[in-house]
Amino acid sequence: MELYKFLPKTNCKKCGKPTCMAFSLDLLQGKVKVDDCPPLLEPKYKKQYDALKELLGSEEGQQKELKINIDDKLCDGCGICVTVCPVNARYCPSSLSGKAPEYPPEEHQLFQVIGGKCELLKIEHCRRLDAEGRERECRVCETYCPREAVKIEYV
Amino acid sequence: MKRFTCSGCSLLCDDIIVQSDGLFISEVIGACLKGKERFDLVSAKNRIISPLIRKDGELKEASWDEAIKKAIEIIKNSSIPLLYGFSNVSCEAQDAGIKLAQKIDGFIDSNASICQGKIFNKAKSLGINLTTITEIINKGDLIILWGANPAETVPRLLNKVLFSRGKFRMTGREIKTLVIVDPIKTASFRVMGVRDLPLIIEPNKDIDLIRMLKEECCTANSIPSQGVAGIDKNDLKRLLLHLTGAENGVIILGQGVIQPHPDYDLVEELLELLQMINKRQEKGRISLLIMGGHFNMAGFDHVALSAYGVSGHLEFKHNQMVKTEDTLVSKIEKEDFDSSIIVGTDPISHLPHSLSSKIAKKPLILIDNHSTATSHIADVVLPTAITGIESGGLAYRLDQVPIELNKLLNPPNNLPSDEELLNQLHGLLNKGGSE
Amino acid sequence: MEFILNSMRKIDNDQAKEHAFGTEQSLEENLAICFINPKDFEKLKLVSSLQLKISNEEKYVIVKVEKDDNIPEGMVAMPVSIWSNRLSVVQNNELQTKNIVVNVEATHEPIMKFKEIIQELLVKK
Repeated sequence: MELYKFLPKTNCKKCGKPTCMAFSLDLLQGKVKVDDCPPLLEPKYKKQYDALKELLGSEEGQQKELKINIDDKLCDGCGICVTVCPVNARYCPSSLSGKAPEYPPEEHQLFQVIGGKCELLKIEHCRRLDAEGRERECRVCETYCPREAVKIEYV
Repeated sequence: MKRFTCSGCSLLCDDIIVQSDGLFISEVIGACLKGKERFDLVSAKNRIISPLIRKDGELKEASWDEAIKKAIEIIKNSSIPLLYGFSNVSCEAQDAGIKLAQKIDGFIDSNASICQGKIFNKAKSLGINLTTITEIINKGDLIILWGANPAETVPRLLNKVLFSRGKFRMTGREIKTLVIVDPIKTASFRVMGVRDLPLIIEPNKDIDLIRMLKEECCTANSIPSQGVAGIDKNDLKRLLLHLTGAENGVIILGQGVIQPHPDYDLVEELLELLQMINKRQEKGRISLLIMGGHFNMAGFDHVALSAYGVSGHLEFKHNQMVKTEDTLVSKIEKEDFDSSIIVGTDPISHLPHSLSSKIAKKPLILIDNHSTATSHIADVVLPTAITGIESGGLAYRLDQVPIELNKLLNPPNNLPSDEELLNQLHGLLNKGGSE
Repeated sequence: MEFILNSMRKIDNDQAKEHAFGTEQSLEENLAICFINPKDFEKLKLVSSLQLKISNEEKYVIVKVEKDDNIPEGMVAMPVSIWSNRLSVVQNNELQTKNIVVNVEATHEPIMKFKEIIQELLVKK
């Protein structure tokens, strides 16, 4: 009921549901998003749109953040992620032939093996954030880890 | 920053960055987990830094004079000693060990005789194609793992060999093909891509695969339609295409292929197959690489070859080398020895029980730097400095390339290096007169 | 039941590491262990409180059991250790550490301790 009072209540069916009441129930269960109601995106319903976004919390509203997790217990320091990462390959010439990159690390470098385990130094220049088009879908560090220790997550 | 060489396994990576003030090691960058454990050995919980002697059934700490005296006593009371190990020490120490064996009329052998050495022995009559790691980085395009699991034994091997972008292979992983032959789906299978070929073979049926490939080299279209040893016909055709079309292929062998069998010799048939494929090759050749565990496993054969012209075990009688049909395993089985000197290895743990129980019966001198199952059984334990960190020397990599190891820290308690200790024993036997 | 024993190296179950850095307890926890296919786990009627007794004509060992999907049926895999080497055989002057024919059965007895094995060897002196 709380959510229904912010909807247009026109039953226009543009969202694909039979009534606004049905849409509000699905919205509560997380099956649809606020943006799935086209009339709400118009300027005259801005106040209701903002109120709904605030009510439904961070799942709905904020942009999810990229995190690359390296499981400490599974990593064995093989350095495959260091060699195969395209950013490392561009800025650290010694990693091209499988050698460990220089230390202190170059400012674009993503991965380095320290103390027998791989560490993520900084994520700003990862292709998933920094590139355009198909390169944004880069997942090589996760695909080629033989112990499945690298996981790409959005939180 | 200066790069240092790691002595964790037989790959001897020389691109490790170590931060140290000469007393402690604060950071190790670039080394895998096995390398880090090697550097950690300096301050390990169970490290031995003073000699031990067995008194009244228990090991007790003793002074260096006492321990050396007891060791010399054991050697003088023995007429057919056995010397074993020598793969965790430098080449200079291996040479000192051979000189000691000559002095005391002993039989000396290294770990390689139950591992890598078997393949090189067969290669004497058939010939063998070798290659180096740098060649594979720059030119390799086909990598076959047969009975080997580098993801769990030599972690950086796949990194260097498969993922690197060498001079003529700048596209890296995309242009290299990986084939793995193994009955268990190990961790190495997880680096497979869409163009690679996993072959899960039935246990103990490698010989059928080898014989079928040899047959196919002679008469085309002889692949049976139901496949061989659990591998289907299409995969076999692809395997053969890769083998004959690769420009610079390499087969990496591990423990899985050196198992004995009463009816056939797997290693011999594999080497023959390689010869036949290289004759039929259109563009290039296929070479061999053998994985080993300890960092200087390949070194003993080179040292023995340059000192006595024999690569492998050596036996001495009346201070002269003699020809012998015995091997390490036959010597222990027949109990044809009356004491043993073990250097840098743990035979009680890695030999079968029927052999290790025979070694345990006789007096045992151990030269090692941390507690192992063998140190629980030894009569005298003489600790030494860790080669590669506390003392230098020469070592041979798994592709037979010699690499120099350097000293980084001073050993605790002024421990001698393996070479110095073996030379000291040799010198003391000179003075007292040898038996 | 008849099985094939295969000994292999695992980076988490490493004998040399436990001897140098661990205690006797961590040595037994990590190395007195074996892996079998889940279907074989059912066939042998195993549960988490039972151990596995593996034997051949040479000797026997009693170790912990764990399930692993990657092992084919009819095979039991152990990390290379003093436990697995009680079952290795010497054939024609060569060592055989893989594809050894063994007999397995579930048992209530506790796992074989490291001290037991060492005592047995010391007694022969």
